Amino acid sequence: MGEPESLVPDTGAVFTFGKTKFAENIPSKFWFKNDIPICLSCGDEHTAIVTGNNKLYMFGSNNWGQLGLGSKSAISKPTCIKALKPEKVKLAACGRNHTLVSTDKGGVYAAGGNNEGQLGLGDTDDRDTFHQICFFTPKDSIKQLSAGANTSAALTEDGKLFMWGDNSEGQIGLKNKSNVCIPHEVTVGKPISWISCGYYHSAFVTTDGELYTFGEPENGKLGLPNQLLINHRSPQRVLGIPEKVLQVACGGGHTVVLTEKVVYAFGLGQFGQLGLGTFLFETSEPRVIECIKDQKISFISCGENHTALMTDVGLMYTFGDGRHGKLGLGMENFTNQFFPTLCCNFLKFTVQLIACGGCHMLVFATPRLDAIDESEFEE
Amino acid sequence: ASEASEAQTLDSDDIIVTPQSQSCPKADSEKMCIEIVSLAFCPEAEVMSDENIQQVYVEYKFYDLPLSETETPVSLRKPRAGEEIHFHFNKVIDLDPVEQQGRRQFLFAMLHAQDPEEGRLKFTVVSDPLDEKNECQDVGYAYLELWQVLQSGSDILEQELKIVSPGDQAIQIGRLKVSLRAAAALHSIYKEMTEDLFS
Ligand SMILES: [Mg+2]
Ligand SMILES: [Mg+2]
Repeated sequence: MGEPESLVPDTGAVFTFGKTKFAENIPSKFWFKNDIPICLSCGDEHTAIVTGNNKLYMFGSNNWGQLGLGSKSAISKPTCIKALKPEKVKLAACGRNHTLVSTDKGGVYAAGGNNEGQLGLGDTDDRDTFHQICFFTPKDSIKQLSAGANTSAALTEDGKLFMWGDNSEGQIGLKNKSNVCIPHEVTVGKPISWISCGYYHSAFVTTDGELYTFGEPENGKLGLPNQLLINHRSPQRVLGIPEKVLQVACGGGHTVVLTEKVVYAFGLGQFGQLGLGTFLFETSEPRVIECIKDQKISFISCGENHTALMTDVGLMYTFGDGRHGKLGLGMENFTNQFFPTLCCNFLKFTVQLIACGGCHMLVFATPRLDAIDESEFEE
Repeated sequence: ASEASEAQTLDSDDIIVTPQSQSCPKADSEKMCIEIVSLAFCPEAEVMSDENIQQVYVEYKFYDLPLSETETPVSLRKPRAGEEIHFHFNKVIDLDPVEQQGRRQFLFAMLHAQDPEEGRLKFTVVSDPLDEKNECQDVGYAYLELWQVLQSGSDILEQELKIVSPGDQAIQIGRLKVSLRAAAALHSIYKEMTEDLFS
């Protein structure tokens, strides 16, 4: 960044970091005329943006057709998906190489790679345009979408969770199948309030604040003691977190959990993505990220090997793999961060939305009238 | 896949992209990048059993740059047997032909060195004591031959260098993974300096 913030309109801008395919991967920013983002999602190498006018914009890698533009050419500029224009797009989720969107009419659409049936269309043929998943009807009001390496999930307003795609590790919660091409319900007998698909593992939160994990059991990313890993193909409750859980975010090998009070991390942290310091590179026991305990965290996001936290006053902390400048802490000179690190670039902004992907991160932020003094944040 | 044509960027009128702050990023021939990627120790190396060594960092020296810019900003727990620790510490060094003649001359001298000791970039693995009472201690050295890059004309990407013992450089104690993106700059420096010599 570095240029005067006055360049950003009051309605804010989307900031890009890392290998976005946008602006030759140089940290950059853009905004919409008379429109603002309401939902951001990053896949491995592609990005989806839903705006307040309910339009869907896509850019990035497209070799599986995951941008839904009817071609497989990479796109370097956010491009509106006109085919969806008759409907109002509400949500989008990018998996490694596929994309899910939901609309106001209750429709759920999918495009991109489909080798494990992650498009939910009943087959394993890739699609380079958005196709409606017939399983969902207008009465299924979608609250949240999530997508993993080759997995998909849709959570309804009334707390029902549906998943489909790759189940080789049990990451969509079915015991005996290697994959399914149509949505199936995942249930623990009570309503679900949050879902996150990692690369090869998944986690959800129930409305009463319990955390469940399932999928690939290695490296502690399920947060479960060893004796429970044999049942990794079914959602199991993570007992190591005593407080009420609000959100969960799954990355490539790690899991981050937001409770009413603090943030926990577990799994693999060889690049610092757990934020637990320079001595702990793996843990199956959920650990509190102590150094941000005095901040009220309101949102968490995990990329493959990095993590971002948003505070209630719109500040942002990042940590993990610093390559390609995806932590928003400098592009040319970078390093892995093993503790949550304040993104000083955003002291003059209120961070509104964050999405972390494979090697990139997108942030939507609006200018702050009362800039925060950096010195307030020195240790 | 090729980049999409502008014609495909439908509705792009709705999007405003700000001009780049670095409107023309520095040419490859005017900078070099050194990345200290990761390190591992040999399971049988003495450093593994030395309880005084708990955490390590890596540094190198480059002409006028202060060490604070060329050492990994953090020390990481000593890797266990078979484990790698990851720094991903990347430094871009400005080699502007006008403003950084000193650095270019320094690199040229390295490329031309008669003494092989002077023709290589030396990385030092340092033990960072947990208590203030003890001092930092070199635990190993790794060397990167610069002429390799010039000769092959290609950057070094995640190359594993032997880490040798400071006491006996014949003993390998580990592996240091580094990247050096400098082929274009070294080529340009060599060309520029040898033209000077013969003109
Ligand atoms: Mg994702
Ligand atoms: Mg990566």
